[in-house]
Amino acid sequence: MTEASADPRPVAEALRPEAAEEVAQVRASVVEVLDEQADLRRTHELMVGAQGHDPRLHELLTAELGLLGLVVPEHLGGLGLDVSAATAVIEELGARLVPGALATSLTAILAARALGPSAEPLLARVVDEQLTLASALAEDGAGWDLEQTVTRATGAGDEWALTGTKTLVAGVEAARVVLVTARDTCGGLGVYAVDVAAGGVDVRTHMTLDQTRRLSTVHLRQAAATRVDAPGGEGARVLLDHVRAMLALESAAAARACLDRTVGYLKVREQFGRPIGSFQALKHRCADLAVAVAGARATADHLVATLRTGAATRSHDAALAKLVCTDTLMTVAAEAIQLHGGIGFTFEHDAHLFFKRGKSAQLLAGSPAAVRAEVAALAGL
Amino acid sequence: MSDEQFRAEIRGWLHEALTGPFAEAVGTGGEGREHEAHELRREWERHLGRAGWIGLGWPTEYGGRPATLAQQVIYHEEYARAGAPGRLGHMSEQLLGPTLLAFGTPEQKARFLPGITSGEDIWCQGYSEPDAGSDLAGVRTRAERRGDSYVVTGQKVWTSLAHLADWCFVLCRTDPGSTRHAGLSYLLVPMHQPGVTVRPITQLTGTSEFNEVFFDGAVAAVEHRVGAEGEGWKVAMGTLGFERGVSTLGQQIGFRRRLDAVIARARENGAWQEPALRDRLVEAYIGLEVMRHSAVRLLASAGEGLSGLEASISKLQWATWNRSLGELAVDVEGAGALLTGPGYELDDAQTHFLFSRANTIYGGSNEIQRNIIAERLLGLPR
Ligand SMILES: Cc1cc2nc3c(=O)[nH]c(=O)nc-3n(C[C@H](O)[C@H](O)[C@H](O)COP(=O)(O)OP(=O)(O)OC[C@H]3O[C@@H](n4cnc5c(N)ncnc54)[C@H](O)[C@@H]3O)c2cc1C
Repeated sequence: MTEASADPRPVAEALRPEAAEEVAQVRASVVEVLDEQADLRRTHELMVGAQGHDPRLHELLTAELGLLGLVVPEHLGGLGLDVSAATAVIEELGARLVPGALATSLTAILAARALGPSAEPLLARVVDEQLTLASALAEDGAGWDLEQTVTRATGAGDEWALTGTKTLVAGVEAARVVLVTARDTCGGLGVYAVDVAAGGVDVRTHMTLDQTRRLSTVHLRQAAATRVDAPGGEGARVLLDHVRAMLALESAAAARACLDRTVGYLKVREQFGRPIGSFQALKHRCADLAVAVAGARATADHLVATLRTGAATRSHDAALAKLVCTDTLMTVAAEAIQLHGGIGFTFEHDAHLFFKRGKSAQLLAGSPAAVRAEVAALAGL
Repeated sequence: MSDEQFRAEIRGWLHEALTGPFAEAVGTGGEGREHEAHELRREWERHLGRAGWIGLGWPTEYGGRPATLAQQVIYHEEYARAGAPGRLGHMSEQLLGPTLLAFGTPEQKARFLPGITSGEDIWCQGYSEPDAGSDLAGVRTRAERRGDSYVVTGQKVWTSLAHLADWCFVLCRTDPGSTRHAGLSYLLVPMHQPGVTVRPITQLTGTSEFNEVFFDGAVAAVEHRVGAEGEGWKVAMGTLGFERGVSTLGQQIGFRRRLDAVIARARENGAWQEPALRDRLVEAYIGLEVMRHSAVRLLASAGEGLSGLEASISKLQWATWNRSLGELAVDVEGAGALLTGPGYELDDAQTHFLFSRANTIYGGSNEIQRNIIAERLLGLPR
């Protein structure tokens, strides 16, 4: 009847060996740095500061650990590691709600890698020039609905000029190059690289409800650009799917971290002469959250496997994981505030950081309702 | 043998096996349909046994067949995909077999496992009692030692398939002065003997798969006690872990069939146009995807066995999901779902709706699973 039911994709067949040890090493080295330099106290400081992120940490992770070249193929100067090396970094950044442009950069790099040969010059530049990237898809009124993109690309070959306004762009305040979706004069949708410092680019960064993630408006007026995807392809979709993947991976990791902290608190906070975690009403809620977190984790892992193998289900899996993981973070974070009581309502406490991050992850790259409709359509429902 | 070859083999075998005299057995005996086609399904058990499809992953000396965990899941997937009959031997194979392999003596394994792998012996599970359900340590059925035998007296309840079973694995109290977890023993009791009375209980489906079982001087051989005397609790807990084990990972395919049927019905009768219903259907689809990915993860990390904790998470997931789908199945039908066949004969949606209420009760209720997850996974205090 439906595409999905024609291919029930059995559990056992999806079982594949885990990624290489290298990925574990990358994760360990990132964890070491982040544990030292990026705890939530630091996030509290950064989010009320002028820049909103920590350029020193970014420098450390990129220049010293070489994370930008992690998954860039070796012949382009990168380390050529498996996709899951980059997704592991995104997860660790997400678990700690680290503000900044590293996750958005890695996301754009993963997307470029998936675009094939047309994106190779950009990937070579990323390593050579240590480029920090951002992705700009949304537009006023249209949100992330690619069909409604109106930003215009004029030109041909290597020489393009973009005109239009992109909204709700994450990580651009620290980025050197933005990947922008735009429509050429024949109506074809493509992905273009724009240097932020070039003429005709104006970035306005806003204060945001989710203080851990600044968002910007990018005005383009005949801004010089190069095309990154192959004409006639589905490059814009690839980019959107990867942005969703980032939100999913970050959220699954953050949900886990938030639950761990909450459970830790329930073990030490006492009322009525016992730890509140011994009250069954609270235990059961935590158990439900643990089940939700396990489910989110599973969709995120599956998505990583899909990105790794380049499976045809990418859009479906990215949408599904985005939906499930961001909803889970929202639920866990909301419960975290409640279960912490008064302290959970204070600005001083970390619970609201997860709560706000959860909402931005839910609303960016397609609202839950819109993404759910997409999942349904992609599943043939 | 590769997994693909294994899948091809079981799929091919089922295809052939279900076209002959067993064609009529297709779709019978599933959840809430336990009352159907007993004779034929009993014969089907033997047919499975003869072909070597019972006891995958068990030692060959007991009639088992070597198979990896992934292959065992493949088996369950293909079984569900083919709509093969509900297994009369599921407690024999999924519960007692693994328990004997883990806790039985060599003599007990040699004595009982071949009867299971041949599809000959049907077992039932005698745990629950009127005053001991979630709190199994409250078991009161007594077994008194007399020479080489125990004499068993007491009452079990909700015993599925007891009316068809040849044997029952019984948790009972062998130390009369004991309380709680101490002093319990795990006995294998023949059902066909004086002193065993089985009384069917009618379920809310109007049919009957579970029973009351009265033991009044029934006899069990001492050599058929699994584990040491007084250490039945450990053995019984082992069984519960198996109950939530491998076979549940293969359920996805069966669940998918059900979901597809509900969606197909919604399209056919226009319920699909109803935004609130459609949203619930999409939600069910998403929930199933989450379970499927969770199962893959479990398998990837399980090695050769599942931990009880992972099993608890998956039990809570699937039981809750299936119960919601049952509600959805009748909501999609609308008021038409209120009419049954003569004699309270239920269709698929009605059966699903009613029977799935049991999913969150048996095998450890949702509340009990939550306690397990909270205490053992999250480490919250008791
Ligand atoms: C269809 C079906 C088939 C079955 N087949 C078998 C079988 O073959 N063999 C067998 O031995 N048993 C069988 N059972 C019995 C089943 O295992 C028990 O019904 C189950 O363990 C619950 O026990 P109970 O019925 O005594 O309910 P109770 O334990 O009395 O529970 C009543 C309610 O209280 C809740 N509750 C109990 N304790 C706690 C707690 N500590 N914290 C929070 N909530 C709690 C329960 O979750 C439930 O909601 C079957 C049951 C069903 C429905």
